[in-house]
Amino acid sequence: MALPYLIYVRACPICKEGLCRVRVCTASHHLVGCVICDECESVWTDPDMETRSIEKDDTYTASCPECGLSLWDEACHWADIQEVCLLGWYDKVKVART
Amino acid sequence: MPRSQRPSTESMANVLRVLPARWAITIIAVLIAYVLLQPRLNTWFGWQLPSIPAMLGQETPKTKNTPASKQADAKKQADAKTSQTQSSTTEKPKSSSGSFKFGILKSLGRDRYESPAGLVYGPGSEEGHRLQHIERHLQDDPTRPGSHGVFQGTMEQFLIAIDDTYRRARGHAKGTRTRNEEAETIYEAPFDESIGYLGGSSGSGQKNPPLKRMRVVVRGKNLITAFPIP
Ligand SMILES: [Zn+2]
Ligand SMILES: [Zn+2]
Repeated sequence: MALPYLIYVRACPICKEGLCRVRVCTASHHLVGCVICDECESVWTDPDMETRSIEKDDTYTASCPECGLSLWDEACHWADIQEVCLLGWYDKVKVART
Repeated sequence: MPRSQRPSTESMANVLRVLPARWAITIIAVLIAYVLLQPRLNTWFGWQLPSIPAMLGQETPKTKNTPASKQADAKKQADAKTSQTQSSTTEKPKSSSGSFKFGILKSLGRDRYESPAGLVYGPGSEEGHRLQHIERHLQDDPTRPGSHGVFQGTMEQFLIAIDDTYRRARGHAKGTRTRNEEAETIYEAPFDESIGYLGGSSGSGQKNPPLKRMRVVVRGKNLITAFPIP
C-alpha cells in the first residue's frame, strides 16, 4: 500500500534526479535497511551514503546488500516511519507529504 | 467445472453396474490401493502419478505451507505480477513497422528490447520493466519533492531522443558530457529546441521552465533511466 508520505535522505548524487529513499528487506529474520535511488537504482548500505552496494551479477537488478534478494521482490518495501526508527535512521531522513 | 466432471463419474458408475460383483470389488480395491500409494510413490521415486481427483479434473491445487514453499509462492506471485505489468507494456500499440516495439525496439527475447543505437531495455525497476520506468517521465508529478524532468512527446519520440543522446555523447559531439560512476555511465546531450519541461515540486515552483538537454543513465548497454534536464 502506498504511504501518505515519502521518506528520503537526499537527491541522488549519481543521476541527480532521483530521491534516495529507505527500502527494507524482510527476507531474513531481522529487518535489513538500505538506501536506494528511486530513479537510477543506485544502492547504499546506510543513509550516510558512503558505501555503495553494487550487485555482482549481470541482471542489473538492485539487490539487498545483505541477502542479495531483488529489492523489488515482495519481501522488500519502502520503509515506513516506524521501520526507519527501528533502523535508528530517523535523524538522517526527510519526510515529505505526498 | 462440475458439469464436465459428471459424465466421467457417471460412466464409471455405469461400468461398475454391468460388471460381475467380483470384478467390481477387484477394481475398487485397486483404486483404493492407488489412492493410498500414489502420493507415497511420487515422494519415494520422484514420479508424477496423478491423483484420482486430478484424473477426473476435480483437484484444486494444494501446496504445503512450509516457509520455503510460501517464499516460492510469493516469488511466483511477484513474477506473475511483473509479467502482468510487463505484458501491459507489450500491449502498447505497435507501429506499422510490424514486430518493432514502439516502432524502433527490436525484441531480444525474455522481455528485453534493443534500440537502433544498441541500448537494451529489460526487466527491472520498481515498475517491473525499464520501459515502464522511463514512461513516468512522459508526465509531471507535481507533488514529488525535487525535480522531475518531463519529456513532451510520445514514447517513440522519447526513445528516439534517448538513442540520439547516447549516440552523440558516445561520439563526443559538441555540447555532450559523459561521466563514469562506479557502476554506471551517465550521458548528456543538448537539443536545438525544448524537449520537455521541469516538473516535480521544484519545477512547479519555477513555473515549469522548458528543458533542452537529456540525461541517460546506463549500466553496460542496459538503459537504467533517462529524462530531460536543465
Ligand atoms: Zn539516482
Ligand atoms: Zn535481504
